[in-house]
Amino acid sequence: MNTDTIYPKVREIIADVLAFEESEIQRDGSLVDDYSAESIDFLDLVYQLEREFKIKVPRGMIEQEARRGLSEDFEEHGRLTDKGLEHLKTYLSEVPEDRFTPRMQVSLIPTLFTPETFCKIVLREMEGGEQAASD
Amino acid sequence: MFHFVDQLLELDPGRHALGVKHVTPGDAFVRPNADGVPTLLSCIIGEALGQLGAWSVMAAKDFVVRPVAGVVGEVAITGEAAVGDSVLLDTTIDSVTDDAVFYHAAASVDGATVLRLENALGPLLPMDQFNDPEEVRERFARIHRSRDPTEAPQTGEGATVPFDLSFDEMLSFEGGKEATAVRTVSGHEAFLADHFPRKPVLPLSLLLESLLQLGQKLLEGGDARYVPTGARKVKMSRFVEPGNPLVAKVRVAERSAENALLKFRCEVDGDRVCVGQAEYSRVLGERR
Repeated sequence: MNTDTIYPKVREIIADVLAFEESEIQRDGSLVDDYSAESIDFLDLVYQLEREFKIKVPRGMIEQEARRGLSEDFEEHGRLTDKGLEHLKTYLSEVPEDRFTPRMQVSLIPTLFTPETFCKIVLREMEGGEQAASD
Repeated sequence: MFHFVDQLLELDPGRHALGVKHVTPGDAFVRPNADGVPTLLSCIIGEALGQLGAWSVMAAKDFVVRPVAGVVGEVAITGEAAVGDSVLLDTTIDSVTDDAVFYHAAASVDGATVLRLENALGPLLPMDQFNDPEEVRERFARIHRSRDPTEAPQTGEGATVPFDLSFDEMLSFEGGKEATAVRTVSGHEAFLADHFPRKPVLPLSLLLESLLQLGQKLLEGGDARYVPTGARKVKMSRFVEPGNPLVAKVRVAERSAENALLKFRCEVDGDRVCVGQAEYSRVLGERR
């Protein structure tokens, strides 16, 4: 399974949650900048994805995973370090390069999230769940 | 007063709660229904269910956080609660995380369900931004310990003037199609004292009731009369504070001989604050 398989359903849910037409949703669009997603929308979106795909997405997972292996050097005074930025770019590889800014605020990381970001999360949790079940 | 759980009958904090709301003649949110019988506004029954869920979560979280209105997947209006009725409130928490509560709930009168909420989500925010935590604890103790129904505090009363559900001004109105209206909360509304003492904001329940009524006006015409049967995918994304001009757009999306579906979107200064859908059913017979 890859993200292409689940994208149609994820797009449908995103369009529904953000009150847009499905055709208006771009796979690499910024949910915050292009579709005006607010914090309540992220809560709603994760909840709908959890229900649809029967998964559990740990809160704050994206940031935690992006930090993995870099706990000390990821940020400085609430802003990404150069190392942190490179790490985040690798982790959010689906996000177009030009949307990352040097020393960006950690609190603004969600502005980078795209529909594809959520496809990856869903896929990871679905596969993680299967692995856990077979372990 | 904007408290609608008179008494907590059963409480399993963070999981389930049963409560009661007595509908009294002095209630600021009682209105005559189509037959002239004074009944509690449907959205206030929904508010009571949400407040019951809030008590359950706040008790589980030691009153450090409180839920606020977020998303309601479905509101189903299936009956009414008239003056003299006691509404049994039953709220089940599906899950609680650090930042949100997910629940569903039903209200009934004499065993018959009058309103259901499904797939509701409330963000959890620091209690002290909204209320004095001590005051909330005291109220909790009052409604929880009060075992004798006759001693139950009467809620919903105390407003000198019934809350006006109409908008300040209709900006555009095209019967059967679309309407745009504006309302600005003045800051003097009685409900603001409780919702919330430290952060007065327009309750989603009252906004939704206003929208349902605006939609009903839009559907009027000829011999048709439509009554609201519920709402779907209602989401409050920002707080509406006194002075914020709330612009509501309501549009008829689908209409058949039996039903109608309306979509609404509310904005403040161009920012989305509330979206959702309202459902109506056509009733036959003469208009009153």
